[in-house]
Amino acid sequence: MAKINSQYEQDTLVNPKHNPTVAALLSVIPGLGQMYNKRYIKGAVLFILFAAFMVVMIEFIGSGLQGLVTLGEVPRQDDSRVFLSNGILSLIIVAFFLSFYILNIQDAYKDAKRIQLGWKVPNIREGFRNAWDTGFPYMLIGPGLFLLIFVVVFPLLFMAFLAFTNYNLYNAPPRHILQWVGLENFINLFTINEWRNTFVSVLSWTLIWTFVATTLQIALAMFLAVIVNDPRLKFKKLIRTVFILPWAVPAFVTIIIFSAIFNDNFGAINLQIIEPLFNTRIAWLQDPFWTKVALIMIQVWLGFPFVFALFTGVLQGISSDWYEAADIDGANRMQKFRNITFPHLMFATAPLLIMQYSFNFNNFNIIYLFNQGGPAVRGQTAGGTDILISWIYGLTFETQQFNMAAAISIILGILVATFAFFQFRRSRSFKEEGTF
Amino acid sequence: MLKSKSFLMSLILVSSIGLVACGGGNNDEVNAPANDSETDNMNNETVTGEGDVPEKPEQLTMWVNDEDAQIDALEEITAKFTEEYGIEVNLTPYSMVDQVEAISLDGPAGQGPDLFFQPHDRMGDIHEQGLAAELELTDDQLDRLSKYNEEAVQSFNYEGIQYGIPAVVETYALFRNTELVPEAPETIDELMDIARDLTDGNNYGFLMEATNFYFTYPFLTSSGGYVFGQEEDGTYDSEDIGLNSPGAVEGAEVIQSWFEEDLMPNGIDADIMNGLFTSGQVGMVVTGPWSIPDYEEALGDNFEISTLPEQDGEVLSSFSGNKGWLVNYYTENEYWATELALFLTNAENSETYFDIAGELPAHTDVEIEDEFMSPIFEQAQHAEPMPNIPEMSQVWEPIGDALEFISQGDDPQEVLDEAVEQIKEQISIMN
Repeated sequence: MAKINSQYEQDTLVNPKHNPTVAALLSVIPGLGQMYNKRYIKGAVLFILFAAFMVVMIEFIGSGLQGLVTLGEVPRQDDSRVFLSNGILSLIIVAFFLSFYILNIQDAYKDAKRIQLGWKVPNIREGFRNAWDTGFPYMLIGPGLFLLIFVVVFPLLFMAFLAFTNYNLYNAPPRHILQWVGLENFINLFTINEWRNTFVSVLSWTLIWTFVATTLQIALAMFLAVIVNDPRLKFKKLIRTVFILPWAVPAFVTIIIFSAIFNDNFGAINLQIIEPLFNTRIAWLQDPFWTKVALIMIQVWLGFPFVFALFTGVLQGISSDWYEAADIDGANRMQKFRNITFPHLMFATAPLLIMQYSFNFNNFNIIYLFNQGGPAVRGQTAGGTDILISWIYGLTFETQQFNMAAAISIILGILVATFAFFQFRRSRSFKEEGTF
Repeated sequence: MLKSKSFLMSLILVSSIGLVACGGGNNDEVNAPANDSETDNMNNETVTGEGDVPEKPEQLTMWVNDEDAQIDALEEITAKFTEEYGIEVNLTPYSMVDQVEAISLDGPAGQGPDLFFQPHDRMGDIHEQGLAAELELTDDQLDRLSKYNEEAVQSFNYEGIQYGIPAVVETYALFRNTELVPEAPETIDELMDIARDLTDGNNYGFLMEATNFYFTYPFLTSSGGYVFGQEEDGTYDSEDIGLNSPGAVEGAEVIQSWFEEDLMPNGIDADIMNGLFTSGQVGMVVTGPWSIPDYEEALGDNFEISTLPEQDGEVLSSFSGNKGWLVNYYTENEYWATELALFLTNAENSETYFDIAGELPAHTDVEIEDEFMSPIFEQAQHAEPMPNIPEMSQVWEPIGDALEFISQGDDPQEVLDEAVEQIKEQISIMN
């Protein structure tokens, strides 16, 4: 093969009679193409594997796919959820099958092409060694990928499919058969007034919450990390330990305690701080605005230690040569921070910071534990501080509207995914991977 | 094929766990089908209990709420059943909260128990999913059932179909600190007077979770408000909501006056109420039997329970929650499962159950002699079961919110109109 430099020139063909197209066409029945290439054992193995697969699975796949279309016919006897799962499994298996089928055709075509150019078919041992060498990484990730498809992709698909059915309290298996309703759930979400108003107001608060709470926690962490890193500071270990403490206590405990001390009439914040100082009380739990303020403050408190630890670590890693050089050039503190410290911090931590944003976007714990998404808002079904995820929780578990919950989950998933995708793409950590 | 079936079932379970994961429920207990040989029990015809008594099965299985006291009690009772009828009874501990979800998958697959245990307000849900058998009671069985608390039996009846045998009733009552309030108030007015006398700064005469509709129901409806209109036979009319009727508004004004007169603080919740009561700062609270151990520990002998006060000569009717035994739709032993349910809840065994598990029986022939539980049992006779239709799930939040607005001084009529409007809208979206 190495001898042949210009693969595409006709006159260098060694075996002009061997036709790649024929090999590919023969591979429509898996294995035949390989046999045509004179790789008899490989062909036989492929053929037997595919034949065995067909014999064993064809019935399951057929009925699975059919069930996915109908979702069952006889109420009571057919359980739509089982049909849906079988259907999804069939889809996954078909996808596996198709990719192997296409690989098989490609393999036959490529081999034929190489034979055409004078390549000698390797014997079995060599063939095995070649396959092992090129396929080794795939061998290793293979089982993991396989597992991932059933543990991650399968449930996700199940959820996604539910969004296109009418699975709610009044139409629940096993008594009823589910139906496909197409985009109806999504259309309802945007056309029924009550849904749309709630969705829009919940979404906008979710975005504000994500942005403000996360940015503040990062800013605070950066401020503290830079200060604590100053060489003139004493008791560094102690100060760092104190700053890490909020992270050490389980968040849900902290949140519940905070919800008690923010209580309007009995909480320490109003009774011991606000009232003596300002002679008034703040309606932390009853005024949506103040509840939001309280939530953001708590989240900053809970979230900054992690970022602080992260930044502290990175700061240690910045070589002092940079600062010395800057000193020689006569840079001031601000310039040093802007041009050395900040870019280094951001470069090393950007992906993790983005994770912080997506985490807060779906931060169910704090919203639910603090005030169950309250206080109530007149004329709206979600509470004043409900974010999308806590609203979905209510929909699923209090009113059993599985279809709507699934539809909103999809929208939520798409939002987070796009956000993360573009941010990751833009962050320098990914662009410049390998340059440092 | 059988093998792959059980594999699939477990995959479905895995996926459903994934779907509900954010609920934080106790999903570990969703157990995969135990073995394949049982899957072929799929039989959709139930054996009815009419005419001759069907042949006895070798054993019956039941899911028991996974609390030790309850399991102990039922083990003792089912041992007697086995002795009397020669039918083995298998108890599987299973959290009551998770049973419906589990049985909706296990039932059709033939893996479910013969009997399961549920609160009555899940009836609509169970009916819509078709999980419980429609009981066809023999005359003898009906006769025995007539000795039970009528409201409790009715609460397991959905659209005229009897689905379950009630076992346990639960409601709330008036709890007093006798040091502050030696005599229980007879009427609402008396209660209010005591409250005004005792309330001062951080000491309160009367506290309750006034924005929780479950507890405010008696006060909101004492002047004629109601949740859903009821037909003669007890079925609910979800179109007819009486929570903004003049009676309900009158009740809401009374509740609002508690806040206006500063008898009750804004934002009151269970934690605050319990904290203040156990530290001896509150004269009376409204709560349920679950608070007894804590209160008793804190107040010792200075603690008594009485029924709610009267209005117009009638004890206020509280909301009651009933729990009972339901027969799995997919069982083959409907008759004997029903017999077992009736046996578990008959007068004698209800007493055993009360002694061991401490839950009030739905059978009225039982004599409760317990200084704390008897008043609650008496209140239960005046209680109204929470409506068991699924539309009820849409009522709690809007009314709870409305009560919050009322506590903050908004106009009761306006707020309740809005809440009812919202409930109606939600119900129409649901359908």
